[in-house]
Amino acid sequence: MEIKEVAEIATFAGEILLRNGAEAYRVEETIKKICNSYGLEGECVSNSTGIFISVITPDGQLVTTVKRIKQRDVDLYRIERINSFSRELMNKPLSYEEAKKVLREIYNAPNFSLGVRLFAASMTAFVYTLFFDGGILDAAVSAVISIGVYYMLERATKIGSFQFLAYYLSGLIIGVASLALQILVPEINKDNVITGAIIVLLPGVALTNGIKDILYGDFVSGSAKLSEAVLIIIAMGVGIATALSFLMKWV
Amino acid sequence: MLFKIVLAFFGSIFPALLFNIDRRKILLAGLCGAIGWTAYQSVLYFTGSPITASFLGSIAVGIYSETLARIIKTPAFGFLIPGIFPLVPGFKAYTTLRYIVENNLSEALNKGILTLAVAGSIGFGIMLSTAIFKIIFRNRRADSHKYKRNFS
Repeated sequence: MEIKEVAEIATFAGEILLRNGAEAYRVEETIKKICNSYGLEGECVSNSTGIFISVITPDGQLVTTVKRIKQRDVDLYRIERINSFSRELMNKPLSYEEAKKVLREIYNAPNFSLGVRLFAASMTAFVYTLFFDGGILDAAVSAVISIGVYYMLERATKIGSFQFLAYYLSGLIIGVASLALQILVPEINKDNVITGAIIVLLPGVALTNGIKDILYGDFVSGSAKLSEAVLIIIAMGVGIATALSFLMKWV
Repeated sequence: MLFKIVLAFFGSIFPALLFNIDRRKILLAGLCGAIGWTAYQSVLYFTGSPITASFLGSIAVGIYSETLARIIKTPAFGFLIPGIFPLVPGFKAYTTLRYIVENNLSEALNKGILTLAVAGSIGFGIMLSTAIFKIIFRNRRADSHKYKRNFS
């Protein structure tokens, strides 16, 4: 296999990992593993927004590629597939076409359908409202609100709008909806509804991966992820606070 | 108590579905949340401190997921992320926010520091368990590094 093709395979694998929210050390290790399994040396730096790869042959030839990652998601299944792909590659190097085919298949791997994800989002809110000592009525209201909010966020990421604006709006919707419902139906407790609904929006992956990145010494990518998580939390909090401060008087 | 453990189990499964987890690992991820919450509850019962309880709860989650990751050869954070969901201080964070809106800043500071401490202790618990596993399994990693050197 040619050095350029190895670089292409390694870049593609790294892109899939980074797009789906893998830690920086995992991206770097996987790319090195792929290059090693073709008998080449790989050097890689991964930020949370892009990867730089150099592939070096034993006689000193060098190919460098840079890939900018704009959109980031969380997808544990794809990361796992790439993980086992690179492990298999160590035992049995695939040809360029085969490797490309496998990677493309992973890239287009099935996700849960939107219906299942909306159901999961609503059930998350339902379970956590009960978990924080809310009643069944609160839980049901919270589930309905979080269906709407999750759908809105899903559309917003598709359009590619400003991420923090989307989180601000979701906080605002949660706040306004739960307060309005408490005014209409006094049996509903807004505090329980809000706590259940915000759990769906929490950036848990960004937080844990940020901590892990810092632990492994990737300070750039770790602090970027942590600040992303903090900004998401602040945007959401400000959204809820806006709704609360305007509507609190009528409750 | 038992009801809450069941809720924690489901409370880890449903967020995991949002992250497109592998279908065969859904139940294991739910078990992770249940174990973490059980550890949290028992420590809270004995010490009465939510900070210590979250710390030990997240250590339990970390140990469970790192062990499973080594057994079935999969990235640890597939269990770690759903597992810490029941421990996340969502209610405390919201209470802080409400006190800020009500202009009750001293209570807000009180609750805010508690929220930050709980969040920090969860993070530190994960860090500690990952670091311990990294030290225990260091030999294998060092071997793979040597292999790379010989190769090139």
